[in-house]
Amino acid sequence: MMQKLLDLWAAYESTLAFAAVNAFFALSTYAVMATGILSFATVAFAAVGGFLGAQLMGQFGLPLWLVLPASAAGGCVASLVVSFVFLRLESHWLALASLALILITRILVLNAPMLTGGVNGLSVPIEAPLWLLLGLLAVVALAFWRLSVSWYGIAARAVREDPAVAGSLGIAPRRVQRMAFAVSGALGGLGGVLLAMTLQFLSPETYYINISFTMIAAVVLGGSYHWMGAIVGALVFTALPQIMQALVPQVQDLARGVALLLIMILLPRGLVDPRAWRIRRALREARR
Amino acid sequence: MQLLLEQMVNGCAIGALYGLFAIGFGLVFSTLGILNAAHGCYASFAAIAGYYAATSLRLPFAASLVAGVVTGAALAILVDQIAFQPLRRRGAGMLGALITSIAFWMILDSLAGLATDQQSLSFPAGTFPSAMPMLGTLPLPAMQMIAIGGLIVVTIAIHWLITHSRLGAAMRAVGWNETAAQLGGVNPRLVILATAGLAGATSGLAGVLAGISTNNVSFTLGEGMLLKGFAAVVVGGYEDVRGAAVAGIGLGVAEVLSAQYISTSMRDAITYALLLGFLVLRPRGLFGRASFLRA
Repeated sequence: MMQKLLDLWAAYESTLAFAAVNAFFALSTYAVMATGILSFATVAFAAVGGFLGAQLMGQFGLPLWLVLPASAAGGCVASLVVSFVFLRLESHWLALASLALILITRILVLNAPMLTGGVNGLSVPIEAPLWLLLGLLAVVALAFWRLSVSWYGIAARAVREDPAVAGSLGIAPRRVQRMAFAVSGALGGLGGVLLAMTLQFLSPETYYINISFTMIAAVVLGGSYHWMGAIVGALVFTALPQIMQALVPQVQDLARGVALLLIMILLPRGLVDPRAWRIRRALREARR
Repeated sequence: MQLLLEQMVNGCAIGALYGLFAIGFGLVFSTLGILNAAHGCYASFAAIAGYYAATSLRLPFAASLVAGVVTGAALAILVDQIAFQPLRRRGAGMLGALITSIAFWMILDSLAGLATDQQSLSFPAGTFPSAMPMLGTLPLPAMQMIAIGGLIVVTIAIHWLITHSRLGAAMRAVGWNETAAQLGGVNPRLVILATAGLAGATSGLAGVLAGISTNNVSFTLGEGMLLKGFAAVVVGGYEDVRGAAVAGIGLGVAEVLSAQYISTSMRDAITYALLLGFLVLRPRGLFGRASFLRA
């Protein structure tokens, strides 16, 4: 019995690690979506954090407790630079521009072999222990919980619902959105270096369009109206391919797509939906 | 000089494929408000259908082309009705449709992989015209001329359709505001079906022609087309099909010339730099008009 449990743990330990890393990306995507912006740029910030962290570890041998904040800072700086350009665009155009940013990031990665290893990729010397991933995720989740009940969280909700009304209430929508980009960039950078340490190898394809599409899908699937939705979505989206591989190995991609389609059509507001909670509570109280 | 001219012709032919694809992609974006990640799959499936029509059924070239176009249109309508119609009824907006289109992207990619045994097929010689007429010393391969001619015909036809026909007026009305169009006596369901079908058909045409000229019939075909077509739509402005056509040709030429004279690794860099530059400096594209929508 004990042996069986250990086998199970061994099989799913890496899934849990990837789920934790993906949760950082999903929270990064959620951070901007919470202010009403659809942006795919998380993956570009992750590339900055990932390659920066990998170089700091590999070339300079910096310890982990310096590398992690440095990567987060790198992603944060990148996101602030990007936000000055992006926030001038209308919503549809911002989404398109962030897609273009990912395409350009890959070209830059390919053409700067000094920094990124180019086509050959880059190996990462240190592996991230699972407790570190989960511990950091817990800290970040705590921060999101505090933020969501702070002035900033309420302002973000107002900006998402209607920027004009928010503006008339004394909230500067641009400033809130820029804050959101900074948070998104820091988390993206952190997620990027953690992904590097989980994979222990980086190639130009590591930070590419697939991650950003799955992350957007994970956030919407989990529920884009609550920070918990991002974590739940990331967990489901990481576990789903594993489950599909165990159940229907030949057509696992097909099954993954069908699952996503069904969830989206049946549960359009996602798995974690604060509005559904409120409605349920109101119904309960009405009955009493 | 000879080399430059030859490369210009090559660039125009590649660009024509991007332009054809971009017309369909832009049509869906401007009329239905959907950023459709599955659009590239229509091109892949059209190419696969054209391939089997030409090889297994031994149909002539024109018939294989038609098979591809019809497949593209049918698939686009099917995806629209399954993935987008339920959300439309609920008013889920752009984000929901993007997610379901990603779901269909996964589904169709893996089906295309099964259909070609995860391999890249290529049209055998003799299933398509391979004549090479000369203009002076400049060779003009038949397939390249078909691509360029196809783009010109399709662009003129769709532009006329949108600006001069009742269906086109209805499409523009639905693109502006579906409810208002309905009040004005337009049947939005019909317009949506027509738009999806038309977009699928043009992308299907691009897919078959690209499958022949790049010797690659597989699910990777659509992905490449999607990125380049997306760039062409943004650079050209999605409101006007002429923009997508011109931008497609421009991107093709820029790509071929930069590969020839600068370096092959910079080929895509130029495309995407143009893409980002346009998004930031002139988001409405080459042919777009200033919009009066609230920011």
